[in-house]
Amino acid sequence: MKLGSMAWRNLWRRKRRTLITAISIGFGVMLAVTFTGSGDYWYTNMINAGATMGLGHITIEPHGYNQTPALDKRLLNAGQIRKHVLTMPGVSNAIVRIMGQAMFASASKTIGGMFLAVDPAQESPDQNLLLRSLIQGQLFPGADGRGIVVGSKMAEKLNLRIGKKLVYTTTDVSGEIVSEIARVTGIFKTGVSEVDGALVLLPINSVRAILHYDDEDATLVAVTVNDQRYAERIRDKIAAAVGNPLREVLTWKQTQTELAGIITMDKSGNYITQVLIGLLIAAGILNTLLMSVLERTREFGVMMAVGMSPATLFKLVLVESFWLALIGLAVGIVITAPWYAYLHYVGLDFSGAIGKDYSAGGVLVDPIFRIRLYKESIIAILTGVFSLTLLSGIYPAWRAGRTPPVESLKAM
Amino acid sequence: MQGQSIVRLEDTTKIYQQGKVEVRAVDGLSLNIGKGDFAALCGPSGSGKTTVLNLIGGLDFPTSGKVFLEDQDLTALSRSQISVIRRDRIGFVFQAYNLIPVLTAYENAEFVLKLQGVSKQECRDRVMAILNEVGLEGLENRRPDEMSGGQQQRVSIARAIVTRPAIVLADEPTANVDSTTADTLLDIMQQLNKDYNITFFFSTHDQRVMDRAHRLISLLDGKIETDEVRR
Repeated sequence: MKLGSMAWRNLWRRKRRTLITAISIGFGVMLAVTFTGSGDYWYTNMINAGATMGLGHITIEPHGYNQTPALDKRLLNAGQIRKHVLTMPGVSNAIVRIMGQAMFASASKTIGGMFLAVDPAQESPDQNLLLRSLIQGQLFPGADGRGIVVGSKMAEKLNLRIGKKLVYTTTDVSGEIVSEIARVTGIFKTGVSEVDGALVLLPINSVRAILHYDDEDATLVAVTVNDQRYAERIRDKIAAAVGNPLREVLTWKQTQTELAGIITMDKSGNYITQVLIGLLIAAGILNTLLMSVLERTREFGVMMAVGMSPATLFKLVLVESFWLALIGLAVGIVITAPWYAYLHYVGLDFSGAIGKDYSAGGVLVDPIFRIRLYKESIIAILTGVFSLTLLSGIYPAWRAGRTPPVESLKAM
Repeated sequence: MQGQSIVRLEDTTKIYQQGKVEVRAVDGLSLNIGKGDFAALCGPSGSGKTTVLNLIGGLDFPTSGKVFLEDQDLTALSRSQISVIRRDRIGFVFQAYNLIPVLTAYENAEFVLKLQGVSKQECRDRVMAILNEVGLEGLENRRPDEMSGGQQQRVSIARAIVTRPAIVLADEPTANVDSTTADTLLDIMQQLNKDYNITFFFSTHDQRVMDRAHRLISLLDGKIETDEVRR
């Protein structure tokens, strides 16, 4: 009789109790999948959405620009840098842009804001949230270089429509004040009021001209990667390839600190919740295993009397918790699979509660609650639940082997 | 007493603490059990019979004095060393059979052999032989709850002797069975004692056991009252 086989039979002496415990472990798997899956989904979505708002997952920019953005800080030969970065593994795109502050004046009003100067040849809606959010017009249809795409709130504030004129004023590379006139060719609406009320798109060549930049110059190269989780690793490789004392290579965590802060706080809360749920479930498993040990005290006494060592008895109870962990995981997979499929493919619509234009950290948040799991998260959940169940078996196992047989044999 | 000594107790005392009261369960007892003995320990409840068996079986330790099994001082051994001695040199038969409920008759009898690491084939040969010896042929796949009390006690005897121990300690082995079964069990044990020279040491209240014992030791208040050798 092998220890594993004996432990398996012991587990089924109380079928109902074993099944209830297995279901509670399975429920733990389901909760862990839901919490971790929502994190994997939300964080990835928010980071990817944030990356399409101008700076990418990784930003190559002039040294010090991130702390004090100013247009006298130029990234020289940005086009060459872009070409090099595009050849690197893990990089999905690299786009040259100029970002700066400006005053925008219409016939009726003047407001401050930001401009993002882009090259229409490099841009695409999937890489640029503002293009994706166009509700009227298009991106610079004419060749005159005087087009501008504004946010819906800015259009409202400045009383702008497609075809209306707008003057923007900024400072050039020498710090001199420069102005240019532009005509509204498009209006976007992202749902994030800070973006819709203060950001515009301009053609990069026109901006280069008024800022007195050379043809290859810009303020940043926005790099997007295939998988945001590897942004830091790819950043290091880019820094090694194109970095120099005049340039900085930063990840989204450094360029979008508000978003990074929100995600870190949410992750911490998520982990604490999961740990608390894990402890509750572990307490249930511990209770079950301890009861099962205590009611077999006499039997364990007999086993030790006939020569089973305390260490072997410890192993026997631990193997029982091993089987319980396996059964619990199996139950967990069975009950979680349809739940996961529903939340992954359909999701729960919370737009009625939070609205369609809910944003956090300057990034629009999808009001549909969905989940996704990375391979690493699946391994972490399965390993975590399995280890927790095994750990819950240690005290009952230790207790089983510790009681002297003469005492155990007296137990009823 | 026959031949060499298997068990030797030297001025052994066991004191239990029951609340604030000290109970002297075994009081300066000295005793020798010889190889091949078929001996019984009798006496009223509380006279110390089970305590003596527990001390010999290494299940309990004396407060003072020494307990030797095949000249090895059990009081000087660690818990794990004692557990090896129990596994290899002592067989236990309990009043309540104490079989492992999830194991079949075959697996219960095989249990200690497996702990010893005996090979599968040898286990099979020895277990089947011993089950036949105790009259359980054909019942090897039954679990304890599918057997009568007598059958369970036979499995318990098979488990005790299958490892060829130095001594079998039987604590009231006939207390839970009817008289016919008790006679049958005693026949089996007597036959094993005769055929294989296995030493049996009983604690009992049962007159039938006392009648068959070759040596009858009577205990009172933890001391030997009489020690009668019948052959």
